[in-house]
Amino acid sequence: MTTYEPAAAGTGRQAPFHHPALFYGTQDEYLAGVGTFVRDATDLGHPVLVAVPGPRLALLRDLVDGDSGVTWVDMYQAGRNPGRILSMLQEFADRAEAAHAHVSIVGEPIWVGRTRAEAWEATRHEALINLAFTGRRVSILCPYDTALPEEVLAQAYRTHPVVGDSVAYGASSHYTDPHEVCRDCDTPLPEPAEAVVIPFEEGGLALARDEADRWAAAAGLPPVRRTDWLLAIGEATSNSVRHGGGRGTLRMWRAEGKLVAEISDQGLLADPLTGRRRPDPRAATGGRGVWIMHQLCDLVEIRAGARGLVLRLHLGTE
Amino acid sequence: MAEPSEGEPVEGCHSSVVFSDDRQWAGHLAAFVRSGLARGRRVQYFADTTDPERVLAALTDAGIDAAGAVARGQLSLSVATQTYLAGSGFDPDAMIGLWQEAVDEAGASGYPGVWAIGEMSWANRDVAGADRLLEYELRIHHEVFARLPLTAWCFYDRRLMSDACVDVLASAHLTHRGESHAAPALWLAPLADRPGLRMSGSAGYDTRDTVAAAAAVVSGAQTPRAELDLAAVRHLDAASLAVLTGGAAGRPDGPPLRIRQPPPSLRRLLQLFPEFDASVEVVDR
Repeated sequence: MTTYEPAAAGTGRQAPFHHPALFYGTQDEYLAGVGTFVRDATDLGHPVLVAVPGPRLALLRDLVDGDSGVTWVDMYQAGRNPGRILSMLQEFADRAEAAHAHVSIVGEPIWVGRTRAEAWEATRHEALINLAFTGRRVSILCPYDTALPEEVLAQAYRTHPVVGDSVAYGASSHYTDPHEVCRDCDTPLPEPAEAVVIPFEEGGLALARDEADRWAAAAGLPPVRRTDWLLAIGEATSNSVRHGGGRGTLRMWRAEGKLVAEISDQGLLADPLTGRRRPDPRAATGGRGVWIMHQLCDLVEIRAGARGLVLRLHLGTE
Repeated sequence: MAEPSEGEPVEGCHSSVVFSDDRQWAGHLAAFVRSGLARGRRVQYFADTTDPERVLAALTDAGIDAAGAVARGQLSLSVATQTYLAGSGFDPDAMIGLWQEAVDEAGASGYPGVWAIGEMSWANRDVAGADRLLEYELRIHHEVFARLPLTAWCFYDRRLMSDACVDVLASAHLTHRGESHAAPALWLAPLADRPGLRMSGSAGYDTRDTVAAAAAVVSGAQTPRAELDLAAVRHLDAASLAVLTGGAAGRPDGPPLRIRQPPPSLRRLLQLFPEFDASVEVVDR
């Protein structure tokens, strides 16, 4: 088995923060690359988080001593919405760093079968990792299946300072400033064929919430998911009134197997990390609303442009 | 929300009275004062914008010997800004103390109870403490009316107050007279049979003032346990939960805030934020 040994110079391995992409084509390559990273980390006594698609977990667990203290997470569930992954990673790192430990994480946010919209938001997440962890004692290995679409793989070279395979790593010549990557992720959103449109301002927030709830019930969203739908829309519409120019527009439509709510306003997203860290629930500021949306929705698409802010909240009907 | 009631004033009730013209005002005024005087109670009228002389004239026109009642000390007419709004503004705690004094003074003069009307239109002006009126209206059900021989009608004049203000404040009374009012997005009322509040509607950023009033009641309640009945709440957001639990945290050592029949959104928020667990006790019935 190949030893995990990143190239010494120019790969960032010596820096406290290390964020390589691992490209793999076979299961053996996956197990060699990821397994070595995990074993090395556990040998060094690092706290380790492994967040990868469920079927991969069992394979990796077999490679690692069961008592090694690794935290295993099924990314299919935890990372269903790419926008909530960074919060999980930061929370894990915060706890470990409090114990003065270097932290090692395997995060696989994109897998074959992700939709194009999910892949763009996952790419945004990858870019934001570089902002969130700069200077911290954290290594985050991100495996990429070479069967993924070319455009997804190309973005991985832009979001990871270091790239490699199960044999060797090197600096990525395509690494790009995270803010620029985020801007590039703001691809045009497809227009729905038809949508319910509800303009709102502060005095109409309750009406918008009630209408969103009624519409989702009529559209067949199960009660448990309707609670999430309503909470997420409530946070987004409140943010429009508080931060987005005092008013906004709610649009809702059905898509295949899901409902979509779009909230648009005149707001800005000054900090792209907003909502990517678990907030103090008692604090009125600090991204609580966006964080809640990320936790409750299957996908949150964010488009921050000169004409305002657009959020699209996706919830599956199953 | 209470349906408007008619007929004789009911002793011991704290009622909202909503009207929009002078004829309605005079009708409510005369009915209340006539009944209070006939029952041998001390009757007090606290005006806001109305000249006390006009109150006297309206009563006289209604066939009530108002001048005689004033002369023998059974009826008093005063202006809020010269009485309970004098000084630093409206203070619910001070006001609650004033009711005790009023009842004591009436008792010392041989009146077994006080009947009072207050014009509440100052709530819609820039009066210091006006933002605490809802908290006050909610607290006095248990802190005053359950303890003292007091009957009061709160006059809400639509000509002087916004509909939104009238709707929220009138809803905070268990009995209501006069014109009906619309259900606000979120409203509060005291529980009839025990200390606590019932919240109804949908709570979000737009209803933050109402939620803040509920938190103030929870924080200041002079009862061993604070209770919120949320059976009629359709939705409650994270900010509202944070404010309510903040109110509970402001209480001296005691059991957590008891929340009855919360909406699904509150349960979901408690899953997301277990930090709130220590502040609330959720009860399903």
